[in-house]
Amino acid sequence: MAIMGAFAYEEDFLAAAKNLKASGFDEISLLSPLPLEEAQKVLGLGKSPVRYFSLAGAIIGAISGFAMAVATALVFILPTGGRAIIAIPPYLIITYEMTILMGVLFTLLGFHFVSGLPAWHDKPYLSSASIDRFVVVVENAAAEQVARAEAIIRDAGAEEIRHVEEDR
Amino acid sequence: MFDHGQPSYAEVNKDILSIMLETGPKYWMLLGTTMSVAGICFFMPWIYQLFVGVGAAGMNRNAVWGSYLSNFIFWIGLSHSGTLLSAVLHITNSPWRKAIYRSAEAMTLFSLMTAAMFVMVHLGRVWFVHWSFPIPNQMGLWPNFRSPLMFDVMAITTYLTASSIFIYMGSVPDFAAVRDASTGLRRRLYTIFSFGWRGTAKEWHTLGWAYTFFAVFVIPLAVSVHSIVSWDFALSIVPGLHHTIFAPYFVCGAIYSGTAGIVTVMYCLRKFLNLERYIGQVHLDSLGKLLITLSLIWSYINILELFSSWYGGTSFELEALRFRLTGFYAPLYWEMILFCAFVPLLILFKKIRWSWNKMLAISILINIGMLTERFIIVATSQPRKFLPDAFGFYFPSWIEISITIGSFAIFATLFLIFIKWVPAISLYEVKETLRPLRRDT
Repeated sequence: MAIMGAFAYEEDFLAAAKNLKASGFDEISLLSPLPLEEAQKVLGLGKSPVRYFSLAGAIIGAISGFAMAVATALVFILPTGGRAIIAIPPYLIITYEMTILMGVLFTLLGFHFVSGLPAWHDKPYLSSASIDRFVVVVENAAAEQVARAEAIIRDAGAEEIRHVEEDR
Repeated sequence: MFDHGQPSYAEVNKDILSIMLETGPKYWMLLGTTMSVAGICFFMPWIYQLFVGVGAAGMNRNAVWGSYLSNFIFWIGLSHSGTLLSAVLHITNSPWRKAIYRSAEAMTLFSLMTAAMFVMVHLGRVWFVHWSFPIPNQMGLWPNFRSPLMFDVMAITTYLTASSIFIYMGSVPDFAAVRDASTGLRRRLYTIFSFGWRGTAKEWHTLGWAYTFFAVFVIPLAVSVHSIVSWDFALSIVPGLHHTIFAPYFVCGAIYSGTAGIVTVMYCLRKFLNLERYIGQVHLDSLGKLLITLSLIWSYINILELFSSWYGGTSFELEALRFRLTGFYAPLYWEMILFCAFVPLLILFKKIRWSWNKMLAISILINIGMLTERFIIVATSQPRKFLPDAFGFYFPSWIEISITIGSFAIFATLFLIFIKWVPAISLYEVKETLRPLRRDT
């Protein structure tokens, strides 16, 4: 069972989230039409692990970019005026571009991995959360917790409360 | 920030999504016109050229590069401000970025696509384009990564990929808003596009981090792309092209023409999509100040380029310089100086900087000047290299002129399609600039 509370005011929404956390509700989602730093703080979201993906991508890109340039030079040897077959300065440019390309692609991968998206199966959601409403969702609430969660949400000033059976 | 009063969150959704969801006959007429011009002026001459060969263009033995290459540089340059400016302003947390960045990034993407079309047209035998990628081919050829042209392939592919991801990821929350505002097939499509976005704090947090990393990657990438395009020329030994100043010259010129392009696009969005409420005086003023700064840097680099050619003192460089300043294409050179160095000085006057119509005129003149600049770089260098027996002359054929006109129609077509598929202004970032609604207000 999930309990959803929709708020018109950001301050009420944040108060509800803080009170729920303080009362021991750990599985809460905070839906908003724009990013709210305060809401992220309530959930204790610090530095994102996405940055490890970016770093890994950049390193893999650098190594593979240089290796690709060297490998193509070795499989198709093109001597030009006695110049080096493996020429470091131009290959650094290929390395640079591949560092960025793989860094971007791995950051994208990291976003999907960390955020859990795509998630097309039904989850508790109110479409007004993409317009102007702030929604607190208490997920996987046990039967004895429902009344308490609902009371906290109502006391904070929710204008609408819904109970939703979750899709597991 | 808002010239006509602050909108509510719901009004932001309604105003911006109505552009996508409501389509009148004027839109279809405009789209039909741009598609027809693209077909007649770009694709038909190109098909003709594919049948008869690249000899249909005005390029010849001494001028093997022509307007296709200059147009390629122009469109790559125009692509520069969108993503680069958006990324820089994101990192520096500038609030005036939020209303204009989505369309500016789209400009980047479509300029890049148009530029890529010119590579295909220039190639002649376009069906061999895969030879430039490090993949096995029937000739057993592998690309030579010592060549600046191969740097280009890598840089532009990376830039196109990174710019596409940058604009797409920034749009995901807005795709969710489109999903919620629509029904039927559109709803199903945008459910897929939005990845099932709900707007949870965790999703916003992850997107914020990822987006910042995209921005951090994109800034050096954008600088590298036009530096690499400049090395297509500067790494040769052709007089007039072999300058160490070329990389910053091209990067500066690219951001300059891109910023002027943003002013033109913003004018059109504001005027024809009724977005006066969101794209206001603060945006015009900031873009104007940026334009004047870039104009001064561009002028300085141009003076340096002339000085280094003269100071070098070799007869080859001096001849290339003389031909550029006083030869057949000299009127175009001085037109470029007038439009890109002197006309933008008018922006120093607040009265002009605050007028949309005057800024539109200046932005168009700047881009005419920048298109000319790229043409001059190509048309006055190769036909004038070293000894007189290598001298030649280049003038674009009607095929090239037609394809140049058609490229603007391709860009306009892509942009018109874009505004019906992606919110032209970021909903959530505009909401971030609004004062939050409180009980006591």
